[in-house]
Amino acid sequence: MSELLMYLTNGIVIGVINAISAIGVSLIVGIMKVVNFAHGELYIFAGYFSYHLSVSLGVPPLLAMPLSIFLIFLIGIGMERTLIRPTYGDEMYSLIITFVLSIVLQNAALLIFGPYPQKPPNWVTGAMNIFGLYHYGNQRILSFFISIGVLLSIFYLIKRTWFGKSIRAISQDREMAALVGVDHLKVNMLAFGLGAALAGAAGVVLSPIFPVTPSGSSSVSLNAFIVVVLGGMGSLKGCVVGGLILGILENLGAAYISTMYRHIFGFIILILVLVFRPWGLFGQKTQ
Amino acid sequence: MGNKKLWISFAFIILALFPPLFLSQYWLHVMIISLFYVMMASSWNLIAGFTGQVSFAHAAFSGMGAYTSGMLTVYLGLPPWLGILIGTGVAALLGFGLGYLCIRMGGIYLSLTTLGFSEILRIIITNEDQWTRGTMGLQVPGFFVEYSKTSYYYLFLIVTILLLIVIYKIIHSEMGLTFRAVLNDEVAASSSGINTVRVRVLAFAISSAMSGLAGGFYGHYLMLITPDVPSLGQMFLVLAMAVIGGMGSFAGPIVGSFVLEILSEYIRVYGEYHVLLFGLIALAMARFAPEGVVGILRKKWRREWA
Repeated sequence: MSELLMYLTNGIVIGVINAISAIGVSLIVGIMKVVNFAHGELYIFAGYFSYHLSVSLGVPPLLAMPLSIFLIFLIGIGMERTLIRPTYGDEMYSLIITFVLSIVLQNAALLIFGPYPQKPPNWVTGAMNIFGLYHYGNQRILSFFISIGVLLSIFYLIKRTWFGKSIRAISQDREMAALVGVDHLKVNMLAFGLGAALAGAAGVVLSPIFPVTPSGSSSVSLNAFIVVVLGGMGSLKGCVVGGLILGILENLGAAYISTMYRHIFGFIILILVLVFRPWGLFGQKTQ
Repeated sequence: MGNKKLWISFAFIILALFPPLFLSQYWLHVMIISLFYVMMASSWNLIAGFTGQVSFAHAAFSGMGAYTSGMLTVYLGLPPWLGILIGTGVAALLGFGLGYLCIRMGGIYLSLTTLGFSEILRIIITNEDQWTRGTMGLQVPGFFVEYSKTSYYYLFLIVTILLLIVIYKIIHSEMGLTFRAVLNDEVAASSSGINTVRVRVLAFAISSAMSGLAGGFYGHYLMLITPDVPSLGQMFLVLAMAVIGGMGSFAGPIVGSFVLEILSEYIRVYGEYHVLLFGLIALAMARFAPEGVVGILRKKWRREWA
């Protein structure tokens, strides 16, 4: 029983981080109809940045974290400005360019950081006894609360601020938004940066628990894509619910069925969604 | 086919008959691999370049062809040609299934799902090593009783030419016309009575079958099939060949395959940098010259002759 509870807790912790990563993809898809296939590589880079900032340069871990996310944000803005912007309206080229970019970044990571898994230092040590049922690592508990904090700030940013309003306006109708004075190029650029930063945030929060390697990037991207399709393209709520579902199912599946096939469960979910509810849990049916 | 084009094609085919007479075994091997990439890049171009849908499972389907045929010949003792035929069928069926599920939802879904399919296939092949021999590679019989690079070269040449003829016929048939109509203006095409989804699913299934066929021959040539065949790295090479050569043109992927495969042989001397280099070139091409090398040359010639 306590074993099952522990796997569930694991699923929820990973699920929340899944949600952050997926919102990064969903924001960009919603606003500019671009799927960023280099999402997983940005996550990996963030993990390595955070590792090298704190281990090689001696920056305190809690400062290395936002610093790495900010670096990824800048990389995202650079990507949008140089490679993505010229492809607006041409879905095919944006898919090709971000895929090629993912391969380039993956190889660059291999060249710069080497093939070895790296793990930034834990922020806290020890474990906590949860309701007298089981012990749970403090690092995971802290990661969970930081992720909840990140989630709440994204929701605030998108639902309550002017920037969020412009994002939603552009997702609904780009031309109308431009007509009423939204600078859509600037919003695109910032939204792409934000999407990248969320990949970075997920990478920074999760890398002390699961070390990063250059070859691990495609499964990160894939997880985010599965959550986005499951939740419904462009739906933030969908990302949270989808992220939790995937996190829990993967952890239970890995524990009770097979660890090797952890990623297969996600793909099965993807196919089931496409067969029975292709617009996702919270997506709009009109397509 | 115009008369001039016909003669040029004939000249190329005649020229292609000679390499075994003067090339070393090593360069003959490079030529055979190039022909495999010609099949892969040209059939990928059939969907990406002509219907605008980006599949990331092309290498995965070639892997399905290679492993299906490989396992049938190893475990059931089927002759390679029958194995390849069945492998092609399996790739076609899977392509049809994935295409049917995704294409009605739009191109983005196809790209996401095919990427997932590639990853899953890699995981399954690596883990089910009692059947696939995992990363050690599955040893399979060759196509010929007596191993000779010259025979393989002519075999690959014939299969490649047949495949290219089929692709050329499709592009210039009524179906090809609907492909382009769908690519140029989906709404207009569907309002003039074209079932855009059916056209795309069909194109996707045909293209997947072709990569299954190419993969089948590739496996029986290498005689050792590893998870590298269906990998995303391989997928990237095929994509880069089409993009750099020129998507949406018949000659583009052919040129791209030979140029990149031969180039990578030279770069390999300095280490495994060819992927990074090709990636950067492909990015620059997609950004500044989306019509590829063939497009650039064509423009230049037109200007000089006009």
